[in-house]
Amino acid sequence: MSRLHDMGGRFGDGPIPIPRKKDNKIDNNEPTFKYEWHAKAWAITLAAGGLGEWNIDISRHYRECLPPRDYMNYSYYEKWLAALTNLLIDKELVSMSELKEVIDLVEKKDLNLNSDKSTKLDKRTWLAKDVQKTLGWGGPSLRKTNISPIYKINEKVVTVKYSPNKDINGGHTRLPSYVMGRQGIISSYNGSHVFPDKNAHANGENPLPLYTVEFKASELWGVSAENSNDSIYLDLWEPYLKSNNT
Amino acid sequence: MISNKKHNHDHEDAHSHLPSDPELRVKAIETLLLGKGLIDPKTLDELIDTYENKIGPQNGAKVVAKAWVDENYKKRLLKDATAAIRELSYQGRQGENMVVVENTPEVHNIVVCTLCSCYPWPVLGIPPTWYKSDEYRSRTVREPRKVLSEFGVNVDPQIKVKVWDSTAELRYLVLPMRPLGTENMDENELAELVTRNSMIGTGLPENAR
Repeated sequence: MSRLHDMGGRFGDGPIPIPRKKDNKIDNNEPTFKYEWHAKAWAITLAAGGLGEWNIDISRHYRECLPPRDYMNYSYYEKWLAALTNLLIDKELVSMSELKEVIDLVEKKDLNLNSDKSTKLDKRTWLAKDVQKTLGWGGPSLRKTNISPIYKINEKVVTVKYSPNKDINGGHTRLPSYVMGRQGIISSYNGSHVFPDKNAHANGENPLPLYTVEFKASELWGVSAENSNDSIYLDLWEPYLKSNNT
Repeated sequence: MISNKKHNHDHEDAHSHLPSDPELRVKAIETLLLGKGLIDPKTLDELIDTYENKIGPQNGAKVVAKAWVDENYKKRLLKDATAAIRELSYQGRQGENMVVVENTPEVHNIVVCTLCSCYPWPVLGIPPTWYKSDEYRSRTVREPRKVLSEFGVNVDPQIKVKVWDSTAELRYLVLPMRPLGTENMDENELAELVTRNSMIGTGLPENAR
């Protein structure tokens, strides 16, 4: 079974919430962050990630693992904050009592945020002077390996029917359920990339061949496909695929 | 088998204690981390300033305009987008492995991330709210033409729609078609016509005035 984040193809969602200008034209230039707390939530999450205590797959998995009720009710950056809170506790950067104490102060509005400017920074802390350098490098997932890809360009493949994460029930994967058990064609090979199904559980990078796979709209949606000529492309790791010689 | 101390995180989580007002939630986490020296307040300012003022769709627009005027650059861009984009000094976080997909008279491309909100930061900045919405994430793979029509883009049935669901760390940028009547415009003028949505696939470049 999947989790709520795995929503590709789901029915029931309404019109796209497209912002419009007064003349009803689409607004391409809405602010980067709608509210100041959005910017803060985003920046704190990035900065905390800079401590190096977790990787991008772990942080994605924490967001996915929010209880369904919370996942649906929270706005985007509320999900980020909730997942970050759970990470801080689980990785023992913050204790539950420290968390409860500060929440108590904040709720009583009994908090002077700028009171302590003299705090000594932890040695892991991402410093402002390193921000541009770190952003410029990023976190490439491509790895040099001597693994030869099994599948060839234009080869027919079929995706596995169940979650490919065999280590952990309900574990992280990047194979969406809407393409499980479907036929596709290898469109390109992209080298070996860090395998999220392992990396999200701190079980090592295990880089594996990554392909771009083309699925016909009619293969995914049958007769309800909008146009049988259309295709959907996904980037899938080798363990998500099997040969299809039919 | 499972080395994680907290197995699957499917438990009563710490987040359930957070205040109901999101502004207070941010304040609580920020206070905690600042108090423990785990974040540098200047890092937060630097990050926000960078993505509000320096990195955004104006970067991608320059890539597109260059590809429109320079056939060799376009070839490099379609062959190795990461390297070609780096020629303009755009690189790094959430753009480590770039792929550029070209709109043609036969093909219209549109990018989505159904599992989260993957987006090419170095060339487009932080994704807009609608890109991260459930509506866009759920519907785009199943009914891309209907989604496109909501954005005012009506794709002829003869044209193939290609939807790119960014499920891995490859990040996609759409190279829209150069608008007609722009033969006399230079690269800078052309960049002004390239909208953010035209590089996601949910829009077209503006017409020449």
